[in-house]
Amino acid sequence: MNGTTRRVVLAVAAPVAALAFAIGLSSIVLLISGSNPLDAYGDMLKHASKLETQVDILNRATPLYLSGVAAAIGFRMNLFNIGVEGQYLFAFIVAAYVGGQVSLPAALHVTVIISVAMIVGGAYSGLAGALKVTRGVNEVISTIMLNAIAISGIVAWLITEWQAGGEISATGGRVGTEPIAGSGLLPDINSWLELVTRDIRQGKELTAVLLVAVAVGLLYHVLLNRTVFGFDLRASGMNPTAARAGGISPKRMIVASMVLSGAVAGLVGLPELMDTGFFPSNPIKGLGFAGIAVALLGRNHPAGIALGALIFAFLDISSGILQVTGAASREIVQIMQGVIILAAVVAYEVVRRIRERDEAASAAAALAVGAT
Amino acid sequence: MRKRLLLLLSLLMSFSLIAAACGNDDSTTDAGAGDGDSITVSLIYDIGGRGDQSFNDSAYAGALRAEEELGITFTEASPNDDGSNRAELLQLGADASDLVVAVGFLFEGDVAAVGAENPDTSFGVIDSVMLDFSQDPPVPYGENIAGTGFREEQGSFLVGAAAALKSESGKIGFIGGVSGVGGLIERFEAGYIAGAKAVNPDIEILSEYVTAAPDFDGFNAPDRGKEIGLAMYEDGADVVYHAAGGTGAGLFEAAKDHSDMANRVWAIGVDSDQYLTADPAVQEFILTSMLKRVDVAVYTFIKAVVDGTFTGGPTTYDLAIDGVGYSTSGGFIDDIVPQLEEFKAQIIAGDIVVPTVPE
Amino acid sequence: MAPAIELIGITKRFPGVIANDDVNLRVEEGEIHAICGENGAGKSTLMKILYGMQAADEGTMKIRGEEVSFSSPSEAIERGIGMVHQHFMLADQLTVLENVIIGAEPVKSGGRIDFENARAHLREVGDAYGLTIDPDDLVERLEVGERQRVEIIKVLYRGAKILILDEPTAVLVPQEVDELFRNMRDLRADGATILFIDHKLDEVLEIADTITVLRQGHTVATVKPDEVSAGDLAELMVGSELPTPQTTRSTVTDEVGLEVRDLTVLDDDERPVVEHVSVTVHRGEIVGIAGVEGNGQTELTDAIMGTRDAASGHIVLLGHDITTTSVRHRRQQGLGYVPQDRHREGLLLAAPLWENVALGHQTEPPYAHGPWLDRAGSKARTEEVREEFDVRTPNIDVAAHALSGGNQQKLIIGRELVANPSVLIAAHPTRGIDVGAQAAVWDAIRAARAAGMATLLISADLDELIGLSDTIVVMLRGSLVATLDPTDVTPRDLGAYMTGASLEEAS
Repeated sequence: MNGTTRRVVLAVAAPVAALAFAIGLSSIVLLISGSNPLDAYGDMLKHASKLETQVDILNRATPLYLSGVAAAIGFRMNLFNIGVEGQYLFAFIVAAYVGGQVSLPAALHVTVIISVAMIVGGAYSGLAGALKVTRGVNEVISTIMLNAIAISGIVAWLITEWQAGGEISATGGRVGTEPIAGSGLLPDINSWLELVTRDIRQGKELTAVLLVAVAVGLLYHVLLNRTVFGFDLRASGMNPTAARAGGISPKRMIVASMVLSGAVAGLVGLPELMDTGFFPSNPIKGLGFAGIAVALLGRNHPAGIALGALIFAFLDISSGILQVTGAASREIVQIMQGVIILAAVVAYEVVRRIRERDEAASAAAALAVGAT
Repeated sequence: MRKRLLLLLSLLMSFSLIAAACGNDDSTTDAGAGDGDSITVSLIYDIGGRGDQSFNDSAYAGALRAEEELGITFTEASPNDDGSNRAELLQLGADASDLVVAVGFLFEGDVAAVGAENPDTSFGVIDSVMLDFSQDPPVPYGENIAGTGFREEQGSFLVGAAAALKSESGKIGFIGGVSGVGGLIERFEAGYIAGAKAVNPDIEILSEYVTAAPDFDGFNAPDRGKEIGLAMYEDGADVVYHAAGGTGAGLFEAAKDHSDMANRVWAIGVDSDQYLTADPAVQEFILTSMLKRVDVAVYTFIKAVVDGTFTGGPTTYDLAIDGVGYSTSGGFIDDIVPQLEEFKAQIIAGDIVVPTVPE
Repeated sequence: MAPAIELIGITKRFPGVIANDDVNLRVEEGEIHAICGENGAGKSTLMKILYGMQAADEGTMKIRGEEVSFSSPSEAIERGIGMVHQHFMLADQLTVLENVIIGAEPVKSGGRIDFENARAHLREVGDAYGLTIDPDDLVERLEVGERQRVEIIKVLYRGAKILILDEPTAVLVPQEVDELFRNMRDLRADGATILFIDHKLDEVLEIADTITVLRQGHTVATVKPDEVSAGDLAELMVGSELPTPQTTRSTVTDEVGLEVRDLTVLDDDERPVVEHVSVTVHRGEIVGIAGVEGNGQTELTDAIMGTRDAASGHIVLLGHDITTTSVRHRRQQGLGYVPQDRHREGLLLAAPLWENVALGHQTEPPYAHGPWLDRAGSKARTEEVREEFDVRTPNIDVAAHALSGGNQQKLIIGRELVANPSVLIAAHPTRGIDVGAQAAVWDAIRAARAAGMATLLISADLDELIGLSDTIVVMLRGSLVATLDPTDVTPRDLGAYMTGASLEEAS
C-alpha cells in the first residue's frame, strides 16, 4: 500500500469503523429489546428515502449544525462552551422581540433580526470569556451558571414581560412574543431544492436558515484556515504556552473565541424563529448540548460537523417512523447517537495514532537518507 | 486533558442512554386488536409519553375504552425529548390513520399546519380550543380540526373550597408546575384561590411555581415538589394542591413525611384521581383530586369519527358536562360533598363566575 | 560469566525505514556502557526494545544469558531494568514523593498508602546516590534539571539493577555531572550495570568502560575509552571532525541591541526570582548567562519576551522601552526567541512544519497579508528554512511531532533567524540534539552574530557558553553575581561561580 492510498484509507477508516460498530451495538440492543434490527433499519432507510423526510432532516440538521460550529469554535481554542444552550435561547427571545417591534423593508428586517441574535449570543458568551480572563473562572462552570441564569432567569422573565396576546391564554396554546411581520421572515427555499427534485408535498418547508448555516460553515473554514486570527486560535488550542511565546495574547483569544462561539450560538434559534415567527413559551431546547455531540462527531471540522449534524438529524427524524411501524421504541435513536459518538471518539483516536506513527517513520526515513 | 474529558463524557452519555432505554420500554406500540376495515387512530402524546400517572395515561385510558367499546385500533407515539419532531409525528399519523389525537396544547401550531395539508384526516387536540385568534371572531383552523377547552378553574374552585373547609390552620398552599405558559397553570391557581376564599375570606394561601417557562422541568421534578411541599407544611399550611404533573408525587411524600413527624396534613391531586394512581403508601394523604377528563375527551373525539359526526372547533369540558370535577376516593371529603355540590350548582348556573387569573 | 545484556541481530523496521539493522550489543555485568550516535541513528529505538516498549522484528535478546522477550516495560522492570527517559514522564500535579511511588506504592493495612515508609525509603535512596530533592515539592514547580533527578530516583527506588539513562547529563552543571558520575561508579561497585546515551564525547570518555557507536541503525564499532579520542568517536558517529563552538573573532559593535535595567521579576507566589538584574547586549555580541537551572534564568527570559510581567525595572530594545508591551509587539520590533523547552513553548506538535515556521511571525510577510494568512508565502519560506538549516523531513506538510529533536530544534532556530531578528534570546539552543545538528545551530548563531544580531544565550552546556559567548555573566539566586571573559575561564571555574563560592546545593 503506498503512502497516498494509505492516507486515504485511514481517513475513511475512522468514520466507517465507527458506523459499523454503532450499527453492530445498536443491533444487539434491538435484539435484546425484542425488535428485529433489519426491520428497524429498513423502516428508517425507507422513510429517509422520501423527499419530504429529507426536508425534515435538513431542517433538523440546520440548528444542529449551527450549534455544532458554535461548540467547535470553543473546542478549537480548548474552551468548553457548555453555554450554547443559554446563549441561543437568550438570543432567540431578544431577536424575536426586536423583530416583532420593528417594521422595516424585508432585507433590512431580516438582517436586524440575525444581527441582534448574534450580538446577544456573542455578548452573553463573551461574559464567560471575560470572567475567565479577569477572574480565572473556568468557562465550564461559568457557562453552566450562565445557562441557568439565562433559561430560568432572564428568558423566563422576558417571556412574561414580552408576552403578546394575553387573552389567548384561555386556550393555553400559541403564546409568545409579538409575531414578526412577514418582512422579517425568510421564505422557505423549497424552490431551490425543487430544481433537482420533484415538488415537495405535505406542506414541508425547507428552511432558508440552511443557507445561513452553509455560509457560517464556509466562514468558519475560511476564518480558521485562511486568517491570522484563525491561526492564532488554532495555535492557542494546540499549545497555549507556545502560542503565547509566539506573540498570541491568550486573554484576547479567549474572549474573542467565546464571543465568536456565542455569536454563532445566537443563530441556533433562527430556524424555529423563521418558522413560527415568534418566541414560543416552549421553544425547542437541548440544541446547545446536542451541538457539543455533533462537534465531537465532526472533529470540529466544518464538513465533519455537517456530516455529524445530518447523522443526528436522520436519527432524530427516524424516531417517529420507528414508533409508527412498531419496529422499535424511540429510545433506540438516542442509544445509536450515544454509541456513534463513543465509537467515533475511539476510532479517530486509533487512526490518529496510526497516522502519527506513519509520519514519524517517514520523517525518520528522510533523516536516514539525508544523513549519508 | 480535553480528549479525556470528551471521551469520558461520551462514555457517560452512551451508558446513561442505554440505562434509560432499558428501564423504560413502556412506549412500544400497541398494535391493537381490530379488524382490517375498522377506524384507525394515532394517539400522539406529549414529551415523556405514557407512564406519567396523569395526563398522558388518562388519554390512553380513553383510547383503550374506545378500542373495547367501538372496535377501533390505535397506535401511540411521543415526540423526542426536545419536542422537535411534533409535526413529523402528526404527518406520520395522518398518513396511517383516520384520526390523529394530539395530547397537549403544545401541538396547536403543528396541528393547524399539518391538518391543513391533510384534509381527509381528522385531528383532535387536547387542551387547546384550536381556534384561529388572528381572525375576528376566531374561527376553527379547519373542519377536520377539533379542539377541547377544559375549564380547570372550575374544578380547581371546588377543590379550593374543599381545602378551605378541611383546613384547621386557616392556611393552605398551591404548587404550580411551570409559570408563564400563557397563563395555563395560573388558571388552576385562580380557581383554587377563589374557591377557598368563597368558604373563608380570611384564609391565607401560599403559592409557588417550581419553574418558569421556557424551563418545563417543573412538571417533572418530584424532589422540588417535596421540598416546596415540606416548606409549606412547616409554614403552617395543612392542605396543599398541586398542578404540576409528575412533581405532585413529591408533594404526596411531603404530606406523608410531615404527617408522620408532626400534625396531620393533606395534599390534593390533579388531572386524574390520584388516590387511585399514586403510590399506596401516600394514598391516605390525598384529600381529593381535581379531575380533568382527558379520557372522556379522547373517547369523544374517537366516537365522533366512528359516528361520522366529527366537526371542527372546540368542545368545552366544564362542570356542566362533568368534563372537570373532583374525586371522592378514600372518602375523606364525604362530609363536605353537599357544600361542594352546592358550589358546583352555582357555577353551572352562572351565579358564581370563576376567575381565570389569580387575584 | 554471561553478559548482563546481550543483543544479537536486532532488527526493527518501521514503514519505510529500518531503525535498527542487525544491531549487536554486549554489555558486561557491572560495567558502564555508553551508546553514542547521532539523533536518528537508532539509539532510542534500541533502548525502547530493551525496555519492552517496542518489539524487535528480528533478533535475540538475552539478560544474564537467559533469552527474554518483553511485551511491556513492567516485564523489563521485573527483570531489574529501569529507564530514565529523555522526555520526563512525571505527573505535574503530584509531589515528588507521589511521583516516585506511583505504581509501586507501599501499602499499609486497609489498603492505605504507607507514606512514612515511602518517604524514608525515598530519602535513603536519595542520600545513597547524592540526589537530594524535597519529597513534598510539586513536580510542576520543579525545573527541568530537578525533574530529571526525580526520574532517576524513581528508577532507583524500584531497585533497578540495569539502568538505562537517556542523556542524563544534558541538564547538569559539571559539579553535578561529577557527582552523578561518582554515583554511577558507586552503583557499578555495587554490581549495577549502566547503559547510557550521551552526546558529550568527553563525558563518555571519562565515565564509560565500553562505548558502542551506532550510525544509521547499524552498530559501527564497540571500543574502549582508552583506545580512542573524542575526535575518533565523532568520526565514527558522523564521519566528520568533531565541531567546536569556538567563536573566532569579535564582531561586537557599540550599538546596544538589548538593555535590561534593574529588572525585578516575581514568581507565581509573589517572591522575587529575578532581582535588580542589569545586562546589556550589543549588536554583534553574544552574552552568555551561566547558572544552575532554577536561578531565575527562565523568569528573566520570560520577562524579556513579555510572557511574564516585570515587577520593576526596564527592558529596552534598540532604544525603545518595551517593558509593558505585548509579546507580539516585541517580536514585531525584532526580538527573536529560542525557548528552552521546544515542545512546551516552541512548537505546535500537531501542526505541519510550515505553520510552525509561521508561529511567532504570523502577522508579517511572507506569512500574512494583512488579516489573511499567506499559505504559499509560508510554505516557500519554510522550504527556505528547510534548505538553509538542513531540516531533515520528507516534506513540510508533516506534523512537527514527526521530526527528531535535532530537526525540530533546527526548525525553530531557522524560523527565528530567517526573520533577521535584531536581538535573539536563545535558551539552551542545542539541548538534547546530536553533534551534527549542534554544529549547524552554532554556525547559524555565529553567522547571525556576524551580521549584527545581539544574542542573549542561556545554556547549561558550559562548553557552548564559553565557546560562543563574547561575555559571560553568572546568575545565582536571581542576581547576576559575576561577569567573566570566556577566553580565560574553564568550565570548572564557571561551575564554581554558578554554585556559589561555598558550593552549596542548588535548590
